[in-house]
Amino acid sequence: MNAGRPSGLRLPWWWIAGATLLLLVTVIAGAMIGPASISPWGIISSTLSRIPFLNVESSLDTRADDIVWQIRMPRVVLGVLVGSMLSVAGSAYQGVFRNPLADPYLLGAGAGAGLGATLAIAYGPDASGWFIDPLPLAAFIGAIVGVALAYVLGYTVRSGRTAVTLILAGVAVAAFLTALQTFLQQRESDTLREVYGWILGSLTTAGWSEVRLVLPYVVGCSVVLVAFRRLLDVMSVGDSEASTLGLHPSRIRLLLIGFATLGTAAVVAVSGLIGFVGIIVPHTVRLMTSASYRVIVPLSLLIGGSFLVLADIVARTVQSPTEIPIGVVTALVGAPFFAVVLRRSKGIVS
Amino acid sequence: MTDVSVSSVGVSYGRTEILSQVSLSVGDGRWMGIIGPNGAGKSTLLRAIVGSVPYRGSITLGDIEIGSEDAKSMGRRIAYVPQRPVYPPGMSVFDFVLLGRTPHLGLLAAEREEDIAIVWDSLQSLSISGFAERDVASLSGGETQRVSLARVLAQQAPVVVLDEATASLDVAAQHEVLELIAQIQHEQGVTIVSAIHDLTAAAQFCDELTLLDRGQVVAMGNPEGVLDEAILASVFEPTIRVIEIEGSRVVVSLRSQGSSHGK
Amino acid sequence: MFKRTTLLAMALALVAVSCSSNDAADATTLPTQATTTSAPASTTTEAMESRFPVTIEAGNGAVTVEARPERIVSISPTSTEVLFAIGAGDQVVAVDSLSNYPPEAPITEMSAWTPSIEAIAEYDPDLVFISFDPGDLIAGLEALSIPVILHGTALSLEDAYTQWEQTGIATGHTSEALDVVSDTQSRLVDAVESIANDAQGLTYYYELEDVLYTATSASFIGQVIAPTGLSNIADEAPDPDGFGYPQLSQEFIVESDPTLILLADTICCGQSSETVAARPGWGSMTAVTNGGVVELNDDIASRWSPRVVELLDAIVEALSSLVAVDG
Repeated sequence: MNAGRPSGLRLPWWWIAGATLLLLVTVIAGAMIGPASISPWGIISSTLSRIPFLNVESSLDTRADDIVWQIRMPRVVLGVLVGSMLSVAGSAYQGVFRNPLADPYLLGAGAGAGLGATLAIAYGPDASGWFIDPLPLAAFIGAIVGVALAYVLGYTVRSGRTAVTLILAGVAVAAFLTALQTFLQQRESDTLREVYGWILGSLTTAGWSEVRLVLPYVVGCSVVLVAFRRLLDVMSVGDSEASTLGLHPSRIRLLLIGFATLGTAAVVAVSGLIGFVGIIVPHTVRLMTSASYRVIVPLSLLIGGSFLVLADIVARTVQSPTEIPIGVVTALVGAPFFAVVLRRSKGIVS
Repeated sequence: MTDVSVSSVGVSYGRTEILSQVSLSVGDGRWMGIIGPNGAGKSTLLRAIVGSVPYRGSITLGDIEIGSEDAKSMGRRIAYVPQRPVYPPGMSVFDFVLLGRTPHLGLLAAEREEDIAIVWDSLQSLSISGFAERDVASLSGGETQRVSLARVLAQQAPVVVLDEATASLDVAAQHEVLELIAQIQHEQGVTIVSAIHDLTAAAQFCDELTLLDRGQVVAMGNPEGVLDEAILASVFEPTIRVIEIEGSRVVVSLRSQGSSHGK
Repeated sequence: MFKRTTLLAMALALVAVSCSSNDAADATTLPTQATTTSAPASTTTEAMESRFPVTIEAGNGAVTVEARPERIVSISPTSTEVLFAIGAGDQVVAVDSLSNYPPEAPITEMSAWTPSIEAIAEYDPDLVFISFDPGDLIAGLEALSIPVILHGTALSLEDAYTQWEQTGIATGHTSEALDVVSDTQSRLVDAVESIANDAQGLTYYYELEDVLYTATSASFIGQVIAPTGLSNIADEAPDPDGFGYPQLSQEFIVESDPTLILLADTICCGQSSETVAARPGWGSMTAVTNGGVVELNDDIASRWSPRVVELLDAIVEALSSLVAVDG
């Protein structure tokens, strides 16, 4: 009776295991590789020395230990968080908009964050000695305001609030905010260098404080987005059919946009605008595994983290001790890889 | 017991009135065919019944008013296949049919073993279990109709609303799909409301017909009564003929004499 | 000590030679010797102060100034400083919004980054100084028959001296300009000579921005610092662009553990010895624990004006106090 009944429809455990293994390997590689020459054994002994009851003596001196634990490790961990969040948010956006090119930047998260950052740099008070740096806070608020504006605009369109009107509203809001940012930049031209430095995206000066700042957002938002993965499959048949299948598509869309934007705003605030990750990672997962969001969302979470850590290894080693902006690496490494995956796949990108 | 009752329903888009004062009722387990020319308001009526468009008047399933319940409860009462369903590229047939289980699952719950079994049964009863893993967007017209019907089956709703289920199919495939719908009707005891453009097919498969024209009900009743030459001629075109072959009504449209160049 | 001073003297001699070779190539109506000598002004230079028209070889090619300019517009903060340093301040009618030194400069809302031809033309200038052309600024001004001198970012001290001298020639202040050049040269030598002990083997990291952009020895500022004997940690960095301003990895800086951390991002980015000490992993660096973090003035650091001496003085002062502590 049940011969031939598909059994591998839910996310197979070996995909999760493989993606987790990849993440572990990249994190270890990220910890081992860097411009400072520190022996792998030194890093291992230093790691083991931090585990209670093992009584391993670290073979690193204080400075090397600082480099590994205060500079390199937080950077790797932040890379995982940023990459995971951008990828999982991208997959959710593509799901709710049924648009393969959707990501939070499309609805103005990037433009809003850029404007917020520019405002903070140009008009922010002198924040030296402040407990919180106003720059990430302003970028965070800017990203959320940008998407909220797009949502409100799209929602009030008289011809109905469909995914398409929302995207058009997003394009309009993003264009407006970018123009505003450019205008401010022209007026306050001495801020130009700092604004561009921020926009290019960087994990250069990441520390544990940045990790602590974004961790709750990334964990919270990822949990919600992963929990909603099955509903993204239902949303893929369009609003009217989804509603006859018992959903409130516009409510689910609002909720998912909200959490994807919140998480993206948080990571963008500390890393700047790192492009391409939210589009390339979910699509690579889709082309290599399945078109079901039950697979795409959790795997994007794991693979996105690996991807950004790898990109960051490239960013800080290729021209060591000089850095390349990570956004340049994600595009330079990611685009050809994506092209190969695209060419090899028989599947259609919707 | 789930009969469908539509009384004095009107639907407007902006200032344009699409439906006005439409009333009809479908008995439990019956198949109601909605016929009428293009633009008569057939699809709009169906969308009103599934709660997708706002309407004036009253539509009830059994004794439940549409719109008085949340979407999830409605999804368990009524299943719907639109005129042009969306078949997401890359989604497997099995996953697509599994979508029919959505109203039976908790919002964030995963599908259970019993849902998998129901989907599998639906695929088998429509003889499409063989391509459960195929990409739903790569199927032929007849196959996609079967897949949509399998989703309807998996949804286990007592009322099924189908908008032109056989549009764009060839004669044989159309007949096959209509037989499958009849099979579902009789095996599951569901009430069916379907828009149908082929009047001859409507005569053979539907228990009752409603003829719509310009948003209003022109005739309603059994196929013999509605498929009357005079009534159809007033709605469609004057040259329409109704003939009877082996006890079934066949509706044809003759080429008018005046426009013939061969004579 | 002796050796270093000798080297410096040789370097300065080279400056003079390169200037002369530059200017000798200029098609100029002016006796070129006047611009090439780094010796104090002579009486002959006084005589030619008023001799216009003059032609100089600026960044945008040969520029001829027909008469002594009386309505100068500067939209380059460096040129503004130079104009006032050589005594041409009275001839300046407007400067851009970033030209905040000297205080008596007629500062306006004009942008140095996106200069507007109309806004400049409104001051009816007879000479305009710019540091870069964002598009067709030069062509636009030339179409209005307004002479423009492009003095782009100096790549070396020699470049800067040449620009100052040209500014003097073009404004009728040649001898003052030569004085400023020779004065700067001798003050730079004095600063280096005042270092109490040998700085050989000591290193520095020069921070342009808190995201760790730096300047190598090939940059203008790198060349200013070079005679102190300090070596630049960024010189290890490959610099494919050749601009001399790479972005360094944080762990590389900490591992290199430079003697001095020179902050040229105190104004733009609010950095100070306190914020550097608070950076993760930086607290144990020698420069932090030993008082080797030097807060420089961003404005001076980003220009190539005569105030560059103040920058070197600050560095030398920090170095001397360090070396004194060590000794």
